[in-house]
Amino acid sequence: MGMTLDFSILLRFTDALAIGLWTTIKLTLLCIVLGTSLGFVIGLLRSSGNAFVRGLLGLYVELFRGTPVLIQLFWIFFCLPLILGVEFSNFVSATIALTLYMGAITSETFRASLRSVGREQMDACVALGLPRAAQIMNVILPQAVLRAVPTLLSNAVSLFKESALVSAVGMADLMFIGQNISNNTARPVEVLTVVAGIYFVIAFPLTRAVTVVEQKLLRKFSA
Amino acid sequence: MDYTLDLGAVTRNMGPLMDGLWVTLQLTLAANVIGVIAGFALALLTTSKLALLRWPSMLFVEFFRCTPAIVQIVWFFYCVPMIFNVFWGPVFMGIVALGLNLTAFNAEAYRASIQAVPREHLDAGIALGLSPTQRILNIVLPQALRNSVPVLLTNGIGIFQQSALVAIVGVADLMYQGKTLATATYRPIETFTVVALIYLAISYPVGQFVNWLERRQSHS
Amino acid sequence: MADMQDGSALVEIHDLHKSYGPNIQVLKGLNIEMMPGERVVVIGPSGGGKSTLLRVVMGLEQIQGGEIRFGGKPYISTKGGKTVIDTEVRKQIGMVFQHYTLFPHLSIMENLILAPRKVNGESRASARERGQKILERFGLGAKADAYPSQLSGGQKQRVAIARALMLDPRLMLFDEVTSALDPELVAEVEAVILQLAEQGMPMMMVTHDMWFARNVASRVIFCAGGVVVEDGPPEQVLGDPKEERTREFINRVFHIKA
Repeated sequence: MGMTLDFSILLRFTDALAIGLWTTIKLTLLCIVLGTSLGFVIGLLRSSGNAFVRGLLGLYVELFRGTPVLIQLFWIFFCLPLILGVEFSNFVSATIALTLYMGAITSETFRASLRSVGREQMDACVALGLPRAAQIMNVILPQAVLRAVPTLLSNAVSLFKESALVSAVGMADLMFIGQNISNNTARPVEVLTVVAGIYFVIAFPLTRAVTVVEQKLLRKFSA
Repeated sequence: MDYTLDLGAVTRNMGPLMDGLWVTLQLTLAANVIGVIAGFALALLTTSKLALLRWPSMLFVEFFRCTPAIVQIVWFFYCVPMIFNVFWGPVFMGIVALGLNLTAFNAEAYRASIQAVPREHLDAGIALGLSPTQRILNIVLPQALRNSVPVLLTNGIGIFQQSALVAIVGVADLMYQGKTLATATYRPIETFTVVALIYLAISYPVGQFVNWLERRQSHS
Repeated sequence: MADMQDGSALVEIHDLHKSYGPNIQVLKGLNIEMMPGERVVVIGPSGGGKSTLLRVVMGLEQIQGGEIRFGGKPYISTKGGKTVIDTEVRKQIGMVFQHYTLFPHLSIMENLILAPRKVNGESRASARERGQKILERFGLGAKADAYPSQLSGGQKQRVAIARALMLDPRLMLFDEVTSALDPELVAEVEAVILQLAEQGMPMMMVTHDMWFARNVASRVIFCAGGVVVEDGPPEQVLGDPKEERTREFINRVFHIKA
């Protein structure tokens, strides 16, 4: 291998990388909150209610789970403005796309966790004469949410990784800025390695945290 | 909206889209072959008793799981030629990049299903006098492999969708052809919708099959 | 029990029919009359319908025929193929399950006070006070703020009984409540149920544990094939059964010559 690595060139670009990272984090956090809330509502609606609503939402979920995130981004970025006749900023378009994606993924998480709350819990509620509202709000939902937390954390880490795709539609996130720097300096190895490293340094501890949270939660809250 | 839909713009140009789909399928199938086989080998390494084998392989897995696929692909396409002084065709590079990514995810899937084989089964094997190798071949592996099929399929379809990322580095897959067509015809809605539906038409049946498989396995 | 005339039954079960799906008939015309203060233990082979009977009485299941009256009032019946359950009557019955079924995300005290607050509108303070008293009666006073995952099986089951008692039921149903416990934990649950029996709580119990049949029951019912086969005092059903089937079951299960 006849090339020399020089990581010091990156020192010139720490500000730019920091801005890119900040954009990535802002976008990710916003879409996690919005997407998880959306997924919660959809998961609930799909677990009960009428067949029409369930079917419609089912289509939405399958659509976002069965197509590449990249094409979802392209569609929201290029097609939605044409349909609605409104121009969105990059950030807004990216937020819409990633929130819809996150909503689909987390709705499945909540649906599964609702199903996993055993039938016996309902029996206990009936035996105690609990009104329907209390059954759902005090017994079923809290358990479903607790059980969903480890998977939700996983979903959040996945979203963080998918966020790098917004670079493909010209949004100045960490990946986009990294690629720019890489092209400008003609030193892809150093630059892209550092960019990968930044993603890794954030995603890795969170992935470990998922296992820890799972054990702690499961230990305390499942009798 | 002052934009009239013209699906014909797409249907007249299905040729290039189908070429792209063919590339996508090649990428997916080849990456899956690599991922299923190498993933298994890697899983064995990560569960090895030798720390020398275990740590590097676990690091490999974590690297691919904790970084965006797009970063992996871009890194691969730009850096590998530079570092190793090789010049592979774009489709081949795509296969290797996607294959490595899938290997890491599949390794995790195999590892989880190996560890999910109940301890009691191993104990029964010991009680019956089976040697460690016999226990692995006759008790652990059959169950572990059977239980990992749904996850392997899910990961396989995941790679099918991730393959769209190689369009960004210029590989002429379905996504790339779609984007080219959308730009050329000024008809992003029709083009991207059709492309999305093509991806869906392949992902959805496989997903349903996985559901059916999981339901069947949980009954046995 | 002011609204009940003397001499009238607490629970009247007439011709109860229940099936799971079109092919599996579990209860085939069950008839039981339970008087106030009785402690009925139901024994029988698996699949004979005993647990289903209890679940039906608790109002957890649909029935295909027959009716149940409670305290002289209509409780469960069928109208046009649908099961009709009077939920106000259902509230007077409490049930404890084999697997405790405590709410794992709530502390012990929160488990106890949830239903009194939500069903009867009782204040938190009042419910907590009553809850603490019951916990102490059962020897669990110190566990009020613990979580179910921190308790042993026997402790959890006693909490489950306490939780049902918070609502002042007129009838307690016990479904195999000691079957899932380690042997050394069974005695503490037996003691609590005996205490309830001595205080006059009417109860219907499904169990394999013959201790209950011998020491708590005022009446033993042998239920098999979805019908009542024999029904009488413990000395009779366990010691000198009238029916051959009962005799076979007792011999087989307890290796004693009845």
